[in-house]
Amino acid sequence: METMVTVEGLEKSFKDKKALKGISFEVHKGEIMAILGPNGAGKSTTIRNIMGIMYPDSGSITFHNHNGTGIPRNKIGYLPEERGLYKNVKVMDILLYLADLKDYPIDKAKVRILAYLKKFDLEGKENVSVEELSKGMGQKVQFIGSIIHEPELLILDEPFSGLDPVSQEIFKDEIRSLANKGTAILLSSHQMNLVEEMCDRLFMIQQGEKVIYGTLEDVKKQYANFKCTIHGINNIQELERIPDVLRVEQKDDSSVLHLHKDVEPSVWLKKLPDHLAINELKINRISLHEIFIDIATDKNLLKEEGVVHA
Amino acid sequence: MRNSMKVAKWEIKRNLKNKTFIIGLFITPILFLVFMFIGSMFGDSDTAESETTTVFINDQLDVYPALQEVVEQSELNWEMQTTELNESEVTDLDKEENTAYIFIDEVGLQSGIIPVYTSDEIDPYFINQVQLLSAPLQAIKISQLGLSEEEAATVMQGVAFIETTEETASVGESPDEAGLGNVERLVPGIFAGVILLSIVFTGMAIFQSASQEKKDKIAEIILSSLTPGDLMQGKIIGYFVLGLIQVVVFIGLILPFVLWKTDIPIIEYLLVPETVLLVGIAILSYLMFAAIFVGIGATMADVTTAGNFQGMVMMLPFLPFIMIGPVLSDPSGLVAQIGTYIPFTAPGVLIMRLTMLEEWPWMEIIISLAIIIVSILIFMKLAGKIFKVGILMYGKNASPGEIWKWIRA
Repeated sequence: METMVTVEGLEKSFKDKKALKGISFEVHKGEIMAILGPNGAGKSTTIRNIMGIMYPDSGSITFHNHNGTGIPRNKIGYLPEERGLYKNVKVMDILLYLADLKDYPIDKAKVRILAYLKKFDLEGKENVSVEELSKGMGQKVQFIGSIIHEPELLILDEPFSGLDPVSQEIFKDEIRSLANKGTAILLSSHQMNLVEEMCDRLFMIQQGEKVIYGTLEDVKKQYANFKCTIHGINNIQELERIPDVLRVEQKDDSSVLHLHKDVEPSVWLKKLPDHLAINELKINRISLHEIFIDIATDKNLLKEEGVVHA
Repeated sequence: MRNSMKVAKWEIKRNLKNKTFIIGLFITPILFLVFMFIGSMFGDSDTAESETTTVFINDQLDVYPALQEVVEQSELNWEMQTTELNESEVTDLDKEENTAYIFIDEVGLQSGIIPVYTSDEIDPYFINQVQLLSAPLQAIKISQLGLSEEEAATVMQGVAFIETTEETASVGESPDEAGLGNVERLVPGIFAGVILLSIVFTGMAIFQSASQEKKDKIAEIILSSLTPGDLMQGKIIGYFVLGLIQVVVFIGLILPFVLWKTDIPIIEYLLVPETVLLVGIAILSYLMFAAIFVGIGATMADVTTAGNFQGMVMMLPFLPFIMIGPVLSDPSGLVAQIGTYIPFTAPGVLIMRLTMLEEWPWMEIIISLAIIIVSILIFMKLAGKIFKVGILMYGKNASPGEIWKWIRA
């Protein structure tokens, strides 16, 4: 797959705090690459460095489709986390201005703007003043602004924040279809379920360091062990004695058994003691969401697993 | 540069579509006109009274044509008529307005006292104007003495005291022409002053525009398409054009009114080389304050939350106003000279001085211009540094300490 942008050894400090400690990754053409991490992990800082809004202390960012120095701003679409629009202007005017700044032909932009407004349920809003739009409508207009010039690389920082589920779905579909058309997409988000549904590869970052990097499938295979949830009152010691159980979390009458990586669920189920109280039993892989929470709260699930492997 | 022009175009378009800006554009000159109009209405009522003075002359010496000539030459607003009325018959003057009776006869000529009867209400300058008539009468008196024409002319010339300073002597202007020259010099100065004020006021809009960029949180979106330098330059250029539009509207509304109300040939006075320098100074002044404002605007989250530091910077363009008094009373004095060398006051003071002074102090002008240009370069550079960091700092005002750190970075 063709690489659009390579980030290598990115480091950045604010005052005494080191925000990025050697971040490296690539974004390929036609894929959705997600940067995940808790607040303050360094996601936005990484993105701002790629966009040239900040300059890294060390490390390099290479745009492969671009000859010459600097950032090919015309080929990049960017939706920042902190975003807004000029208030007292018309929707059409501001979108045309944004297209003009990217050197995109005005007449072509007009057609695309109208098409996208229609797609996003904003038909007929082109001559409405921005201040009259609701927050969600404003977000849609910002999104249109970031893709109006058909960018080769689209960087979206928290695109789903503040959107209702319907709008989230519209955004998700549009992002997916852009990727299918060959746009390289770098996306940061907190909404794990959405990321899990749409991203091809992910880069998880905490305290400025890489935690996980790989395809969604690999990550899930590698980190998302099976877990078994049992509803019923059971003794925790007894549960811990079951083979291949790494850790047990008990809350009220439900117990969550974190299982060993190589467990075959059907085989493992047969090892359950006969006298266990089971009202309900569920066995599934740990979701990205749980991995994320785990990292964010430093529960050390991954480290624990690492120790087992050591 | 291309990106700067795009930003400039956008700022111009955005403001011209904004009702507040359009109203502001017209309200200043219209207010100005309204006050001028009210003023001239009162002025008119005064001059209207003085306009028609009916003067009846009982002429027994056949000097009426000569008197008429004098009145015409002096452009007095008199309506002259001859009358056969006697002095004793002038009784009903109480009932009339702006009427005077003059009795010219042999007795009056010999005694040198011509009786003038006026109504109660009469132009206060009438009695001065009447004195003009003494010349033809004196001529008659002299001719009666039998002097030759040459001798008569010598006697008539009389002696006058005329104020003559060294400068006027060297220029060789008569006092009358010097008075006219003042207006001539004032016109380019006032013109430059209008430009200076208009674009400095519009320049303050830059400041709002920069902080608005932060308030609306659009800066990062815009900066993904261009560099902070482009954005800053674009704003400076855009608001400069908006300032010029303000000047054009201002002058377009005021000039016809001034031309209609006064006889000053403004256009003629304006098309002189001096105007170029004065307007140049005004433009330099704009660039300096625009750089300062765009930088300071980028440090503020909201205009309403301006701290002391920002507030003080906002007042800088008004510094020359403090100096108006001393500079006007002594354009070559110490205060004026000091003002010429302080970057913030230099443009304003320079325009005031050049308008007042007849001989331009070229050395001071050149030094002052150099100071202004160097300041512009420095402020532009500093503003660029401040703008780059400040524009992305949402929701917080920068402290002077932080600003200092950005400048040093």
